[in-house]
Amino acid sequence: MGKNKMEVKNLDFYYDDFKALKNINMPLEENKVTALIGPSGCGKSTFLRTLNRMNDLIDKTKVEGEVLLDGKNIYSSEVDVVELRKKVGMVFQQPNPFPKSIYDNVAYGPRIHGIKDNAKLDEIVEKSLRGAALFDEVKNRLNDSALGLSGGQQQRLCIARALAVTPEVLLMDEPASALDPVATAKIEDLIAELKNNYTIVIVTHNMQQAARVSELTGFFLMGDLVEFDKTDKIFENPADQRTEDYITGRFG
Amino acid sequence: MESKLIKRKLTEKVIFNILGLFLWISIAILGIIIFFIFKRGIGVISWEFITSMPANGMTEGGIFPAILGSFYLVSGSILFATPLGVFAAIYMTEYAKKGRLIRLIRIGVNNLAGVPSVVFGLFGLAVFVKYLNFGVSILSGALTLAIVILPTIIRASEEALISVPDEYRESSLALGATKWQTIKNVVLPAAIPGILTGCILGVGRVAGETAPIIFTAATFFSMKLPNSVFSEVMALPYHIYALVTTGTFPAKQVPFAYGTAVVLLVLVLLINLAAIILRIRYSKKFSN
Repeated sequence: MGKNKMEVKNLDFYYDDFKALKNINMPLEENKVTALIGPSGCGKSTFLRTLNRMNDLIDKTKVEGEVLLDGKNIYSSEVDVVELRKKVGMVFQQPNPFPKSIYDNVAYGPRIHGIKDNAKLDEIVEKSLRGAALFDEVKNRLNDSALGLSGGQQQRLCIARALAVTPEVLLMDEPASALDPVATAKIEDLIAELKNNYTIVIVTHNMQQAARVSELTGFFLMGDLVEFDKTDKIFENPADQRTEDYITGRFG
Repeated sequence: MESKLIKRKLTEKVIFNILGLFLWISIAILGIIIFFIFKRGIGVISWEFITSMPANGMTEGGIFPAILGSFYLVSGSILFATPLGVFAAIYMTEYAKKGRLIRLIRIGVNNLAGVPSVVFGLFGLAVFVKYLNFGVSILSGALTLAIVILPTIIRASEEALISVPDEYRESSLALGATKWQTIKNVVLPAAIPGILTGCILGVGRVAGETAPIIFTAATFFSMKLPNSVFSEVMALPYHIYALVTTGTFPAKQVPFAYGTAVVLLVLVLLINLAAIILRIRYSKKFSN
């Protein structure tokens, strides 16, 4: 087993009185893709959002336990949430580029973090777009509105936008669920490419996708992490009956 | 069976026609108003009427000082009310926790919108004219009008901000932006067309307000154009009121009142047209 980039320890999460995550323990290995699967409402997206503290934005939520990034608890009072989110980037389910140009979308992150030099920004934008396998398709229209791109291109733009702030971990919340099969295949190829440089955690509804892209898989059910293991093991020989029922399509 | 069907179809038809009739009545009323104002006022409209000073006890000349005065009052009120209203709306939608306090404030704002405008006029007289000693002036009038349109601007800004998709906020924050950076760089630019539309509709409203400026800014007649924010001014709606109620040569002055009304109406329609164009551009930008 490789080095753990992040480690979740005894994590409980509450929406008001509702306990959405129950005592979750999970390591996230560096430069690996970890997939989170489970039926709707099982807590997998909530779990993903605890990893970069996006749940802080929701009123009346409470976190107990620890989430370690490079050994440091991200919920400790010394951690600056802005710095955390620079290191732990996120791509959402719906492609959601800003209503700005393609260039300005990618340059948004670097700009907020204080980079003003145009040559430097050009370089970051090109590198990020290449990293998201989008550069060749858009290089001649960087100043066009991002909203004119196709859904699949928009999603890769959102990945490029996340890469532009040079994160170490990339969280993806069902990044291909709103896309057609061709665009989905491109995103999956991209994930395979990206794991060389990033630690990736992906939530997906699509079991084949989890099997294709990930090395490790966690199965969530009603707030519990039922099983966490190598993806091959989970799909071929799950230890828990509930995992097998879910994977073979008996519920969910 | 057959007769039941016929009856049902007949009912449909009758209802459809009655509803249509009500629509046409409403449109006709609007049409009649515009027609009468124009019919009575168009005769006095001329380049001279728009650009020259009143003369001979307002039986001759034009209404230029009133146009200019209205322009000053309206611009001044927008200048005060826009930042105040927009920042209040930002606080309410982006920062404040949703709870009893915000609900209370929203009720307050809505009630402010329902206060008769003459009450604002009295308030302006007491506070701006007397207490702050600004006198009957452009400044007092603009501040009073600013309070009149404040609820409109807060409501429009709030709606514009709320309609900005949460995904924009989340993805900005997920990139490590602070809340204010997110508001400044993503939320506000997306909301600005909506906010502007609200402000322009506010302009249309205050351009026609009479009661708030009677005690605070307007004068019946002025020989010279205003030279500072502490000057009193003539204004279009008050000019109409004055011509009709206190004129000494009604035969000549009443047509002037209608002419002034035409100018005011055209101005307000133009302003609303600008708001509509903005709204269309705004929806185009987001429906891509």
